[in-house]
Amino acid sequence: MKMEDMSLSGLDNTKLEALAQDIYSDLVEDACLGLCFEVHRAVKQGYFFLDDTDQESMKDFEIVDQPGVDIFGQVYNQWKNKECVCPNCNRSIAASRFAPHLEKCLGMGRNSSRIANRRIASSNNMNNKSESDQEDNDDVNDNDWSYGSEKKAKKRKSDKVFLHSLKQHIPLVSFIAVRYLFMFCMLCFCPHVIARGPIDF
Amino acid sequence: MSKDSKMRATINQKLTEMGERERLKELLRAKLTECGWRDQLKAHCKDVIKEKGLEHVTVEDLVVEITPKGRVLVPDSVKKELLQRIRAFLAQHAT
Repeated sequence: MKMEDMSLSGLDNTKLEALAQDIYSDLVEDACLGLCFEVHRAVKQGYFFLDDTDQESMKDFEIVDQPGVDIFGQVYNQWKNKECVCPNCNRSIAASRFAPHLEKCLGMGRNSSRIANRRIASSNNMNNKSESDQEDNDDVNDNDWSYGSEKKAKKRKSDKVFLHSLKQHIPLVSFIAVRYLFMFCMLCFCPHVIARGPIDF
Repeated sequence: MSKDSKMRATINQKLTEMGERERLKELLRAKLTECGWRDQLKAHCKDVIKEKGLEHVTVEDLVVEITPKGRVLVPDSVKKELLQRIRAFLAQHAT
């Protein structure tokens, strides 16, 4: 019985393998037919040869692979070392920093008013204490995104000074206000409480 | 023999009903596109069309020319993977 079973299962295995092969070739044939139909439709509708161009045009737009030049054949760091003169402040600025500088200089960018106000505030503080060199802050403020930590440190420092002075006064101010409010309420609603002696009805 | 064909019919039916056939088709299509088989065959199609003439090409012409070449061009890795999946399915669902 066992021998028979073994031979039966052996047959089954070859049969299964044959079946697997058949299923596989069905699938491949399906794929080929799919492609044929697609191509035939493209031919009959006229768009099969649409992406072909003649050799000359292909050569014109070929990818360039030379050093120092991008894939279109243009030099890409041509303006790295050039400098421009700002028409507003007449300073010589590097070409890649020119646009942001102009934004701040002309007062037309997103943050230009904020930075200007801050500079005025800090220059008032500085004038009271000591003289400092404000000229070079322009370039530092130009790099909104890269000198982030420096800017934050600066901001925190000036804000800290202001808040600190305010904080010292807040408790005192609020205490006095609350006291006066309390006294006023008592006077209005319960005058007898303010009186020194006991109440006689 | 009829038992054989019965079993085959049952398995084919199961294959379709469970959606496995569609999945295998998609898998095969994706793999063939990935490995460049499609582009190769398309280039061969171009030659056939240029030979037969754009206006007179029929589906039959294409099928007769493309299918045998297509069968041969399937890469071994793709063939192996697909056969593996089919065998796994058969092991699970046959008998």
